[in-house]
Amino acid sequence: MLIEQSAYANRWRGVAPQAKGLFALGGVTAAFVAAATPAAGLGVAALLAAVTIGGARVSPLLYLRVAAPALFFLAISALSLAVSVDGGGLQATAAGTHQAAVVATRSLGALAALLFLVLTTPLSDLIALLRRLRTPEVLLDIMVLCYRTLFVFAAALQDMRAAQAARLGHLDRSRLLRSLGQMAAHLTLQVWQRSHALHLAALARNNDGPLRFLGSRHPHARRDAGLAGVAALALVLLAWSGR
Amino acid sequence: MSVPLLQLEDVHYRYPDGSAGLAGCSLSVSRGSRNALIGANGSGKTTLFQHCNGLLRPATGRVHYAGTPVDYGRAGLRALRSKVGLVFQNPDRQLFSASVREDVSFGPLNLGLSDATVAARVEAALQAVGMDDLAHKPVQNLSFGQKKRVCIAGVLAMEPELLVLDEPMAGLDQAMQEELLAVLDGLHRRGMTILLATHDIHFAYRWADRIHLMAAGRCCASFDAPALAGHEAELAAIGLRLPSVIGLERQLRQRGLLRGAPPIHSCSALLAQLQQEDC
Repeated sequence: MLIEQSAYANRWRGVAPQAKGLFALGGVTAAFVAAATPAAGLGVAALLAAVTIGGARVSPLLYLRVAAPALFFLAISALSLAVSVDGGGLQATAAGTHQAAVVATRSLGALAALLFLVLTTPLSDLIALLRRLRTPEVLLDIMVLCYRTLFVFAAALQDMRAAQAARLGHLDRSRLLRSLGQMAAHLTLQVWQRSHALHLAALARNNDGPLRFLGSRHPHARRDAGLAGVAALALVLLAWSGR
Repeated sequence: MSVPLLQLEDVHYRYPDGSAGLAGCSLSVSRGSRNALIGANGSGKTTLFQHCNGLLRPATGRVHYAGTPVDYGRAGLRALRSKVGLVFQNPDRQLFSASVREDVSFGPLNLGLSDATVAARVEAALQAVGMDDLAHKPVQNLSFGQKKRVCIAGVLAMEPELLVLDEPMAGLDQAMQEELLAVLDGLHRRGMTILLATHDIHFAYRWADRIHLMAAGRCCASFDAPALAGHEAELAAIGLRLPSVIGLERQLRQRGLLRGAPPIHSCSALLAQLQQEDC
């Protein structure tokens, strides 16, 4: 929900998604180009984070909260790369440390580029972008339905939890477990019923193929894409010169 | 007499699990009319609506649209569904896309219209339901009433001749009901035929031209709304009473306190009439 919140509330909400996608692609490329020199890789990641926070006005706290799980896994992975276990116990070798630094900075850069994209672009815009990029319709249909039903079931889950709690369903551990089981069973049934209802709703509106929607309008899409292209190129060149 | 826009003749339908849907249901809807379908839960209202749109096919009996039997082939259903718009009771069961504008565009795009035509229809439909300011909003951030209006816009954008709404007032507070009513009145003034299900006999009496009563899968009575007072027994059979304004009007007339032309459809109209006669 944090990503959703930021995607709709940031300053660059109205910028064409293809422009943001192009810049994110430039960010990922720059992260790969710069990764041979960890300091340059860190610089790319920092620059992308600064653009997201400073340019698109995404709250720094929200940014950190969204990035935290990925950063945690990245730290664990880097540590396991840097440290090796042999007869003498844990040892950090120079080669291992360098490899960990390269992988970690490259991942940080790629993470920052993806965070830029998802924190500034609503998923419906991203799906429209993927449609323009000729992603298979069936994948897009699944994305559309999953995205919409996520909120429907989040609301249903909340209602069920409240109803269970109101009838002492969460009083102790055994009742909590029982309530959770009942909730899972009920939710499964609801998923099936809702999917049937959505199928009927699609038929009622004359659908007999892929789910098609009109994309959002972006009157300055060309200008946005041009600016994003220049910025992406500058980022890659900067990463190249710093390696 | 003109040909009804929609006509069901002795339609029977049973769900695959064996539960009864419709049992000899006959109903007629005239072009340009406002119709209220009243019945208890489980009386078959939703099943009937799904027959109007061709989502369900009668086991026996016939459905006619504009005098022609419904063709259940692909092209026939496509034609029927472009003329009969169905708004479901629960908006979360109808809305596909997480964006208001996108969802409204779903139906017209399915009609094979160009993007420019669809964009124009989406704008017009959102304007008709008063949601043009919220077109860029994600659906999940809308209130229940606003979601209902998006559902109606999604069907209006297909420019149907007959709008079928399954309990549109359910779950709406008084203010939202008034707003929705204003939307429906606007659509009716533009010539759209409306058929809606409701439990509210007061609303049906006040709003509809024709009232249809439904019980046990059958349409047990259809009459002009002003004639409701003569159908007390049929109403009682489905657990409803006459609107209080009818009794009040009767009493006032018997006591010579009211002289204007009958019938009066709401307490506010009755009050206005009394005040006018006082002057």
